[in-house]
Amino acid sequence: MAPPLIDPALFDQLKTKIEEDTSVRKELDQILDDLNQHVSFTQGVLSRIHSTPRAKYATLFEQVEAGVKKEIETVGRLGAFASQFPYYKYNHKWTRMVQDAISTVILTTWLGGLSTESKTGELGRLLTLEDIGEVFNAPVNLKDRDAFHITIEEYLLGLISVIDDLSRLAVNSVTLGDTAMAVQISGFIKDLHAGFQVLNLKNDILRKRVDSIKYAVKKVEDVVYDLSLRNLIPAQETTQ
Amino acid sequence: MSGLKRDWNGNTKRRDGPKPAAKPVVRNAYTPMFESLREELDQHHDRRERIVKASRDITALSKKIIFSLQRVRKIESQLPNNIQSEVDSRLADISKLLASIAPEIQGINRYRYSRSLMCLEELVEALTFAHYLRTQTLIGHAELDPTIEDLTKKGAVISEDEPMADAGDPAGNAEKDEPPAVNVPTVTLTQDDYLYGVFDLTGEMMRFATTSTALTGKMASGQTGKDGGDDEPRTIVQDMHELGTFFEMLPVGPGNKFQWEKKLEVTRQSVQKVERLGYDRVIRGSERPKGWIPDLSSGDPGQGEEE
Repeated sequence: MAPPLIDPALFDQLKTKIEEDTSVRKELDQILDDLNQHVSFTQGVLSRIHSTPRAKYATLFEQVEAGVKKEIETVGRLGAFASQFPYYKYNHKWTRMVQDAISTVILTTWLGGLSTESKTGELGRLLTLEDIGEVFNAPVNLKDRDAFHITIEEYLLGLISVIDDLSRLAVNSVTLGDTAMAVQISGFIKDLHAGFQVLNLKNDILRKRVDSIKYAVKKVEDVVYDLSLRNLIPAQETTQ
Repeated sequence: MSGLKRDWNGNTKRRDGPKPAAKPVVRNAYTPMFESLREELDQHHDRRERIVKASRDITALSKKIIFSLQRVRKIESQLPNNIQSEVDSRLADISKLLASIAPEIQGINRYRYSRSLMCLEELVEALTFAHYLRTQTLIGHAELDPTIEDLTKKGAVISEDEPMADAGDPAGNAEKDEPPAVNVPTVTLTQDDYLYGVFDLTGEMMRFATTSTALTGKMASGQTGKDGGDDEPRTIVQDMHELGTFFEMLPVGPGNKFQWEKKLEVTRQSVQKVERLGYDRVIRGSERPKGWIPDLSSGDPGQGEEE
């Protein structure tokens, strides 16, 4: 007898592999459901910054920090599970959510929350990629081994979301009478915009999002223009 | 003279004139951070660019192998000499390309660039098709991996032997510094590379069945009496049925369900075309003049996508 076209063992082997893959994805989805819940909650609480005067941030941060703590826990679970498999095989499933988690942390810290013993809470502190790795207990920009980590792209995309949020806050802080905040946001966003110009971008999602920063810059510049026209900018800021 | 630019007053602008001094980059607290991130991103983009280039060439070469193989008329253990030598020379080119990208896609980078490595599907298609024409069996994933590994190693050796042959090959040059062939990085196939390659194999088998039946007047099948058995040798119609059932029975690949369904649909159509061929052979095989090719072009969405 001539050998059969398909070795029966081949079918079994492929079937097993596909089933394994499916169950990995199911388990990932469960973790990601949790992460999604915590990220949405934290984002929701954080959106109150637009209607809360700066003096009352402290109470707001308590809630935010509780949410961030859950985010960190869940990212930890995700990392432990995902590290068993090739990182980029499944990375697309969580990258958006991790970006959102990163941006909640960057925003909170910039506003003076999430202070630690070494770093006291003050307005305007930007966490670097390495800082983010420390917050989430995850390696960053991993190259020498195949495990869960936070990528440069995730950090930068998370940062761009923060810029969008801050440009909105600039408007609302003026409404709340906090013109100094608007001026500080303007300086920060312009600096970051210049920073993003340093990158050589390809035609990908990062490029698309970076292109949107200029609208945030414009929005904030308009606010500052309105303020300066009416002499509403605090004295020490204008001398800069 | 074209492309003369004039300024506001209508005076011609000189292109080779002194350029205004480049505006110094405005530096601020965050500039160093972005500069270091730029380095990293550039490495990634350059690597992807190199992979994409090699991948495009490998795809083209694999397609040429498939065209050569489509000139085979029957299933037998040895490909005709002229075709075998065409295939070999293409494979030699492919192995050089594989060796050049192998170091780029080790470890974590294997899946990072898997979308830029569509060429491997095409290569699987070519290799499984050649294997089918020789043995009338489907080569397994586990047996195909060493084949690709061998190709990569061969390519690495070739680029060491003739360093001047492709001077633009950075990986080949890099490898010269290392001891030869002890720990040469190789290319591995993912499950998806293999499965999607085999999906495409069904299209090639359909084409082969059609031309070989038309030109030889016989349905392609295994050799008669080779094993001394008195069974009729298996025909390609049976093989197509087998392969169709194989894919119908497999669970849907979880990565990209949409693509899987699309490929499965094309496979179903290929199976039916070959079925139709088998029917034609039985019902009016003797009446049909030699060289007559049944018109299978209508309702054939698979064709356009392949070319």
